[in-house]
Amino acid sequence: MADALTQLGFASWLSVLIASIIKVTLILVGGSVGMMFLTWYERRSISYMQDRRGPNRVGPQGLLQPISEAIKTMTKEDATPRDADKIVHFLAPVVMLGATVLSFAVIPWGRMFPVDLNAAVLFVIATGGLHSIGMMMAGWGSNNKFALLGGMRGVAQLISYEIPQVMAIIPVVLMTGSMSLQKIVEAQNDFAGLGWYVFSPVGLLGFALFFTASLAEGERTPFDIPEADSEIIAGYMTEYSGMKFAVFYLSNYMSNLAVCFITATLYLGGGNGPGVDALGGIAGGLLSLIYFLLKSFALFFVMVLIRATVPRLRVDQLMSFAWKFLLPLVLVNILSASFWVALLRWDQQWPKLTEWFGAPSTADATNWGRLAIAIVLTLLINAGAVALIMRLTNRNVQKHLYTTDEELALGLS
Amino acid sequence: MNPIAIGVFIVIALLTLGSGIMVVTVRNIIHSALWLIASFIGVAALYLLMEAEFLAVVQILVYAGAVSILVLFAIMLTRQVTGEGVRVVFERWWVALLIALGLFGVIVPTLWKHGATWEEAAKLAQVGPAPVEGAANSLQVATATEIGRSFMGEYLLPFEVVSVLLLMALIGAVVIAYEERTRRRRVLTLAEELALKKRGIVEPRDAEGAVMPREAEGKVILLDSEQA
Repeated sequence: MADALTQLGFASWLSVLIASIIKVTLILVGGSVGMMFLTWYERRSISYMQDRRGPNRVGPQGLLQPISEAIKTMTKEDATPRDADKIVHFLAPVVMLGATVLSFAVIPWGRMFPVDLNAAVLFVIATGGLHSIGMMMAGWGSNNKFALLGGMRGVAQLISYEIPQVMAIIPVVLMTGSMSLQKIVEAQNDFAGLGWYVFSPVGLLGFALFFTASLAEGERTPFDIPEADSEIIAGYMTEYSGMKFAVFYLSNYMSNLAVCFITATLYLGGGNGPGVDALGGIAGGLLSLIYFLLKSFALFFVMVLIRATVPRLRVDQLMSFAWKFLLPLVLVNILSASFWVALLRWDQQWPKLTEWFGAPSTADATNWGRLAIAIVLTLLINAGAVALIMRLTNRNVQKHLYTTDEELALGLS
Repeated sequence: MNPIAIGVFIVIALLTLGSGIMVVTVRNIIHSALWLIASFIGVAALYLLMEAEFLAVVQILVYAGAVSILVLFAIMLTRQVTGEGVRVVFERWWVALLIALGLFGVIVPTLWKHGATWEEAAKLAQVGPAPVEGAANSLQVATATEIGRSFMGEYLLPFEVVSVLLLMALIGAVVIAYEERTRRRRVLTLAEELALKKRGIVEPRDAEGAVMPREAEGKVILLDSEQA
């Protein structure tokens, strides 16, 4: 975009500035409008899952409901508790929203890349980690015990789930050989646009693990402990009202949207799909944008489905799920990803191996023999690990969920 | 560096330094931790200005996102430290001053001596990609690939030493937490408490409602480890 502006006769720094401003505006407007649509989409679909109709009065099918609600929140009184730390209380929603919006900077919209950062994958996780600061500030600054409890819970959860989340990405980075989201999207363009990572055993497990960990990072329902309304009112948001509450709400939904976008990019091929390359040009770009949005909203639908079906975890269950279930599986997945890379591309990664064992006939992923061996091997490793961990967890759950009379009498373990 | 970059550098450096000074002068310890986060983010911005994207992102991920949160956590879980009455200057301030001056005395001559070499390396990096093999381009450490190569090549020993150190910290944390855990009773769920009450085993509580030590009660509920 900057190049086109320079050709129109703007100075180079001015054209870069204007292009950045346009991009930022698009991201901000797209993010908040997308969030408004998402609230409607979630409420309508969850209503149908719960055998009711949901908001359907304002506008066609209730589509304008979010706008009326935005007006309502904006006209509400903005109250700050008397003993609150005023500055921290005010800055908390700002930090939350800032962190969320930052992560939108690197998300590829189909074939359009706002910023192609070299460490884009890590950047998304890092900005997600900044949420915990906002939570802590809100929880502490409100001077309310429920807010503080919510903030503590939220931060403990975010820190625990950041580890499986980051490590679930390592297989993708290994298979691509880069942390740039653009390269990751390009690497999934084999097999006529269907070479998505989710179709390989490594990618499938990675997808499941990453999506689960991201649900916890986005405080979606099985993991919505920080704002568990039946336990601690609204968690860290308890003392917020009016516009500040709306900002929290906005940043929550935007980060959920960002999670869907990132998952679609990492594992579901981003804007890749059949026909994108064949069309090419602007039409191909539009088609890839449509593919990308379809995948992301399908993922969001899965989020809503999970919210409608799964009850909330207890805090200790939450922690043991992260450390005893997700983390071992993530480590095994990294192991099988290295096998995958070694089998498919050893000549690129390690020239020494080619020296010793001779070069494989072709190096790309369409070498069927090597692909078959890699799929079988990684499938065996991953399926074995999942089965083992499931069995161990089940036994553990059996032991801890129900307390028999003897145990109660003798002692609780 | 062009003038815009220098201007940006001065602004970021002032902000970072300013927040650093706020960290040590603010009396409210939570505010001081928040200022620390601001100064971490400022350092990340400086890395970004030097086009070390990976380093900047890791700085935010590890320091702003995790370390400072642990600091905040520790402060909030410790009672009576969030008050305003915390002293800022202690009697042995001159020790801290000596250490700071010593560090300054190490860093500045190093920059003086090696600054020219680094500038040349930066120029080389701008001209074209340096050959990837071995130590030849060890100065041009910017991307994750370069950092990985120097860790696994030239700086293997320091890297391994640091990993052993981190492993020790990890094992130490597990040991401490494990000992703590075996001594502690599990918190009962409401259902279990009700079941206990039904069976006539009532938790002994003192006047303030806190659970009293088990030894005070006739029917003792013990942990596995204590039974053994």
